[in-house]
Amino acid sequence: MAILDISDVSVHFGGVQALQNVNLAVDQGSIHCIIGPNGAGKSTLVNVLTGRIRPDSGQVTFDGDSLLGVKPHDINQRGIARVFQTPAIFPELNLIDNVTIASLAKRDGRFALNAWQTREDMGPVIEKAEERLLDVGLQDKRHDEARHLSRGDKRRLELAICLASEPRLLLLDEPTAGMSRHETQSTIDLLRQIAQSRVTKVVIEHDMHLVFALAEKLTVLHQGAVIANGRPEDVREQENVIEAYLGGAHL
Amino acid sequence: MTNSSVSWRSDWLPVIVFAVLVLTFPYWFKLIGGYEGLDTKIVIWAIFALGFDILLGFTGYLSFGHAAFFGVSAYTTGLMLLHATPNVIPAMLVSLVVTALLALAIGFMTLRRTGIYFSILTLAFAEMLYRAALSIFSTFTGGDNGLTGLPTPTLFGAPMQGATVYYLCAAIAIIAFYAARRITKSPFGLMLRALKSNQERLQYTGINVSGYKLCGFMISAMYAGIAGSLMVIYEPYVATEFLHWSTSGDVVIMSVIGGVGTLFGPMFGAGFMLYFENVVSAEIGAQWLLVLGLIFVLVVVFLPGGFVDGGRRLVRTVRRRLTPGETDARTESDRVG
Repeated sequence: MAILDISDVSVHFGGVQALQNVNLAVDQGSIHCIIGPNGAGKSTLVNVLTGRIRPDSGQVTFDGDSLLGVKPHDINQRGIARVFQTPAIFPELNLIDNVTIASLAKRDGRFALNAWQTREDMGPVIEKAEERLLDVGLQDKRHDEARHLSRGDKRRLELAICLASEPRLLLLDEPTAGMSRHETQSTIDLLRQIAQSRVTKVVIEHDMHLVFALAEKLTVLHQGAVIANGRPEDVREQENVIEAYLGGAHL
Repeated sequence: MTNSSVSWRSDWLPVIVFAVLVLTFPYWFKLIGGYEGLDTKIVIWAIFALGFDILLGFTGYLSFGHAAFFGVSAYTTGLMLLHATPNVIPAMLVSLVVTALLALAIGFMTLRRTGIYFSILTLAFAEMLYRAALSIFSTFTGGDNGLTGLPTPTLFGAPMQGATVYYLCAAIAIIAFYAARRITKSPFGLMLRALKSNQERLQYTGINVSGYKLCGFMISAMYAGIAGSLMVIYEPYVATEFLHWSTSGDVVIMSVIGGVGTLFGPMFGAGFMLYFENVVSAEIGAQWLLVLGLIFVLVVVFLPGGFVDGGRRLVRTVRRRLTPGETDARTESDRVG
């Protein structure tokens, strides 16, 4: 059953057709990877899904409701959390505060005038934040300022923030970009661990190692259009995929 | 047990220390050359600077138009005293409501922009109000002369003069300090700090960023409004300069030299600046502004965290000297961090 349904979505910037009649269905609970060479339209697709870009035509529905024209914060409140290409965290705040913000957003919604609440009123929220830090293995650093973390740990923190909003769909935009081999492997392990939960994951990725280690379903974008879609082992055998993306070399 | 005593210390101790400091201020202020009346003015400006810090220090927005709220509130209080009743309570309440509505309107338009654009927009709004007060509204505001001929304000029949005004201002300052601490430590305050740190992340974490920004701006403006209103109760006269850009500039300088984001720092900065302007200037003569400028430059260059940061560094250095055994451990952890 599809939780996210993208149908006939087109986007153009000036004369450039960034996305062209893209159709894509993401099944509930699956790990769906989207790959494609630079300029294939991956980032545009992410921006459409998170409400930053409104497509020229087409429809995007999440759990049956249209996402078009919905603001980014409301899309998050509906259950889509986004992991950015460069880890987006709150650098000046400590790790607990970083994650507490997300669990507060879950508890109080997009806006609450809770200016008179004390730290004690936040007890259960902070507890939840600590649990998420434990999930990603950062509990020992919980009182550190986030800016002092290594890049891999910043990614872990960002994942903890996203998980604390208890999303139904986790959107990961190149989660291992700029990471060392070792950090990539530890991110894969972490994602696998999270994969045991029922959260649906959409992963935009460059790293083939990660894609074939994780993906249950694979979509290939090329020049703004979907050229292949299916199980990873089937997709990588398709001639047009090898032609377009892999430059003729077999995986 | 230990936990609750720690939170007691961090929650209440600063407020109690502050209260003692403010309530005894008129006595020890005379010992360092202060005079009656200046203490009241300092406390009023401290409230202004405290509210300014909620915006600049926590939300990260540098308003260059806070004179708008200080001045409009002062005029509102003046007009209330003149035309309605010399009782300060209705005057203050109406001023507070007017300031909040003004902040809602100005904030709605200016908070769409960040950084220098926000600063310039707020400056533009404040200057427009200043010009309007001198021209199209001069029949109400008294134009260039300011609003004069106000009756002596009263509180439940008692005339607001001398010590009575001081203790009214002191009580409000203590409540304002308690409220500011409570707000900045609340979930709302956490959102403001998050907003300063990374707006995009906050938005993608499900938070309506504009709502929090606008509320933070309004709270800050209402502090300025309370200060503006008290200024007229302290001295029943509304000067046009309350709306002038130099008033906005003064509160920025106070915050920066005191220590942005520390709440106490900007209040200390307010005291320092007024003390300098009114007491030290008598000692060093006409060049006091030059000296103040130099102090400002030195603080920004060498002590970006302001006086509060300077104080913290001093305490740390003294501690290190006193306990040489701890020195190694601390430098070690500094290096690791």
